[in-house]
Amino acid sequence: MIARRVRYEIVSRALGPTLMAMERWGRRLRGRKGGGAEEPFGPPLESTRKLKELTTLHYLAGRFADGAVPVAWVTSGFPVEMLRPLGFHTVYPENHGAICSVKRMVPELSEAAEREGYSRDLCGYARADIGSVATGKTPVGRLPRPDLLCCCTNICQTVLYWYRALAVHFRVPLVIIDTPFVYGEARPHLLAYIADQLRELTETAERVAGRKVDRAALVETMRLAREGSSLWDECLRAGRARPSPWTGFDSFFHLAPIVAMRGTRECNAYYRMLRDELNDRVARGVGGIADERVRLLWDNLPIWFNLRDLSAVLAGNGFNIVCATYTNAWAEAGSMIDPEDPEGSTARAYLNVLLNRDLPYKLSIMKRLCREYFASGAIFHSDRSCKPYSIGQIDLKGRMASEEGVKGLLLEADHADPRAWSEAQAYNRLHAFMELFA
Amino acid sequence: MMRDATISAQKKLGRKTVAVLPVHYPRELFTAMDVHTVELWGPPGPPRGPDAGRIQAYACAVVRNALAFLASGGADAADAVLFPHTCDSIQGLATLAPDFGGWGKPALRYLHPKGEDGPAARAFVRAELVLLADRLGELTGRPLGIPRLAEAIELHGRIDRLRGELLSRRAFLDMADPALYRLLRRGEFLGPEDHLAELAVAARGLGEERVQHGVPLMVTGYVPEPMTLFDSLASAGAFVAADDYAAVGRRVPLSPPADGGDPLDTLAAKAFAMPPCPTRGGDQDVRMEYLETLYRRSDAAGLIVHVQKFCEPELFDVPAIRRRFARIGAPLLYLEGELEASLSGQVVTRLEAFVEMVNAERKAP
Ligand code: SF4
Ligand code: SF4
Repeated sequence: MIARRVRYEIVSRALGPTLMAMERWGRRLRGRKGGGAEEPFGPPLESTRKLKELTTLHYLAGRFADGAVPVAWVTSGFPVEMLRPLGFHTVYPENHGAICSVKRMVPELSEAAEREGYSRDLCGYARADIGSVATGKTPVGRLPRPDLLCCCTNICQTVLYWYRALAVHFRVPLVIIDTPFVYGEARPHLLAYIADQLRELTETAERVAGRKVDRAALVETMRLAREGSSLWDECLRAGRARPSPWTGFDSFFHLAPIVAMRGTRECNAYYRMLRDELNDRVARGVGGIADERVRLLWDNLPIWFNLRDLSAVLAGNGFNIVCATYTNAWAEAGSMIDPEDPEGSTARAYLNVLLNRDLPYKLSIMKRLCREYFASGAIFHSDRSCKPYSIGQIDLKGRMASEEGVKGLLLEADHADPRAWSEAQAYNRLHAFMELFA
Repeated sequence: MMRDATISAQKKLGRKTVAVLPVHYPRELFTAMDVHTVELWGPPGPPRGPDAGRIQAYACAVVRNALAFLASGGADAADAVLFPHTCDSIQGLATLAPDFGGWGKPALRYLHPKGEDGPAARAFVRAELVLLADRLGELTGRPLGIPRLAEAIELHGRIDRLRGELLSRRAFLDMADPALYRLLRRGEFLGPEDHLAELAVAARGLGEERVQHGVPLMVTGYVPEPMTLFDSLASAGAFVAADDYAAVGRRVPLSPPADGGDPLDTLAAKAFAMPPCPTRGGDQDVRMEYLETLYRRSDAAGLIVHVQKFCEPELFDVPAIRRRFARIGAPLLYLEGELEASLSGQVVTRLEAFVEMVNAERKAP
C-alpha cells in the first residue's frame, strides 16, 4: 500500500510533469511549433497543449491509483466536491468514452459489450465503458479499478442502469444521488431529499476512504469548484466577440477539466490560462475560424468521432459554432455552489442542471444563448443513443424558428458510435442548411 | 366493460378520471380521493396521429404512441394525466406534451425515488404523496381524508392478494392465459371494486390439483403486448407459470407493507415492498436473485425475455438475466417488441420452436 502510494505520488507529482516537460522540450527541438493557422481555421490555441498535458497526466496517474489511493468512478454530473477532501482519484467513464470515440475505438468496444448481451440502442458511452471493462482495452493505457461507484441521475437515468451493472461486475459499493426531474422550480422536498443523500454519501465515502472529511478542506474544494465554474463561464463568454476567438468544437475539448477535475487548483489554473489567451485573441481580433460569417448554437453532446471533419466543413463555409447548451451547462450550475453551505448549495446546484430541467427552461437557455452570442442558426444533434437530451428537440427547433427566428437543423448521429452516422446524408443536410444563410 | 364504457360509467358516479402513464404509482391515493385511473401503455398498434413524429424514432413506442394518442384527443375524456417518474423518456414526455402541446389539461407528476430503501427515500416518497394528494384535491375540490386512504389501502391490499394468488398458483388455475391476462389487465382501467369482484370470481377457479399441464414458462419484460402472444403460447402448448412483467407481476407487492399507523407511511412503505424493477433502480443482484427464485418456485422450464425496443431500464438488465439463467441451464428466448398490434409470423415461429425445444429438454432423461 505504502509503496503503491509512493509510486502514485511520484507519477502524478514528479514523473508525469517531467515527462510532459520533456515532451514540450522535444517538440521545441524538433521545431514543431504548431502555431500556424491551418485553413479554414484560425491559429490554434496555445492552451490546447496544456490541456493535453493535464489530461494525459490525469490518466497516467490513474494507472497507478488503485491500491494507492481510493478510486471512484463518477458520472459527469456527480457532486465530486464531496469526494475530493477524502483523496479519491476520480475516473469519469463518460470522459473516457469521449476519448474512445475520438480515437474511433467505440465500435470495437461496443461490439464487446454487445457480445455480452448489451443492446446497440443503449448509450454509446455506456457501451464503450462496458466493452472496455470487459476487454481491458482503452486508449489511455489502463483505468484503475474502482473502490466506489458514484452515480447521479441529474444527467439521465441511463447512468443508474449502467452503474448498477458496474457494481455487480466490480463488487464495490454504489452510491446513487437521485435527483428527481425539475418541472418549473425545484420544490423544497427535492432539495431536502438530495441533501439527505449527500449526507449518506459522505458516510459511505468516508468508510471506503478510511478517513473523515476535513470540513475546511471541503469548504476549500467548494470554493475552487465555484471559482472553476465561473472561470469556465468567462472562457465561454469570450465567444460573444465577433469573431469568436475559438469554435464550439474547441470548447467541447476544453470542457474536460471542469468535468473531470472540478474543485482542484489545476483545473482553475488551466482555465485562467485559457481565459487570458481567449481574451487576448479577442483583443487582437483573432478568430477560431478564418472567416466567420454565420454564428451557430449547438445543442446536445458533440459527435466526438467526427468533430474535426464537421468543424472543417462548417468553417470552410464561414460557419462557426459560438455557443452550445452542453458546454454552457457546466458554467450555469457551478454558480449556485456556496462554500458556506456545502450540502444545501450542492443539492441546489446539482439538481438544477440543464438535463434535469423541463423543456421551457431549455428553450429559455437556448434563446438567451442565441441572443447573447449573436447566433442566427442552431444545429440540433439528434443523438440516437442519448434520449434524455434528444427528446423534445424537434419542438425546440420549431420554437426557436418561430419565436426567435433562429434557423435550425436536426442532424441525426450518435455522440460516440460512428456506426450510427451516415456521412453522405448528414453532409447533404448540412449543406442544404448552410444554403439557407446564403 | 371496456375502457370507454368504464370511463363514462365512472363519470356518471361523479368521479374524475386520470390517464396514467407507466409504470408505478400510488393507486390507493386515487381511490381514496374518488378519482378513476385509466392506464395508458402506449396504446399498442400504429401511432394514432402525426404527433408521434415529434419524438425521434429511436425512442420507445410507448412514449411515441402516448404522445400521438394524447395529441389526437384519444384521452380527452380524462381530466388529467399522471406521468410517473419512470424513465428518461417518460420524463421527456411529461414536459413535452403539457408544455409544448399535446395535453392541455392538468399534468400530474409522481417522482418516485431511485435506488435503495432508506430514510431519505422514505421521506421523499411521503412528501411526493402529500404533493400528489394536494394536486388531486385541486382536481376534485376535496381534500384527502386519511380514513378514506386507510380504506383504499385495505381495498387495494385485497386486490393485490388476489392478483398475487392467481399468478403464484397459476398451475392450479383453470383458465387459459389469454383470459387470465385479459382479466389482470382490466385492472388497468376498471374501478377497484369491479376489478376486485372479477378477481374474486376467477380465484374461485383455483383448486388443489394442478390443472395446467402445458410447458411452464416464465416471462420477464415490460408489458404483454401484443396480447396475441398468449394465444400463440397456448397454441404451442405452453403457459405462463411465472410473470415478471412490469405491467403485471412487478406490481404485486412481495408482502403487505407494514402498517405503521399513518396510512401515508404505509403507502410510502409499499413502494419498497414491490418486486425489484429496473425502473426503480435497486441492486441488480437482488433482482437476479428474485428472478431465479421466481423461476424455480414456479417450476418453469424456460424463460422469455420480452422487452420494448429502446427501453433502457429493461435492456440494461438483459445481459445479467442471460448470465444468471445460463448458469442455471434455463433455456431463454429473447423478444423485442414495438407495441405491434399482433405478433409477426416470424416471432410466432420462434415462439413455437422455443416451446418445442423446451418441451424436448424437459422430456429428455
Ligand atoms: S450521453 Fe446521454 S444517456 Fe449517455 S450518460 Fe450522457 S446523458 Fe446519459
Ligand atoms: S418502455 Fe421503457 S423507455 Fe419506454 S416508457 Fe416504458 S420504461 Fe420508459
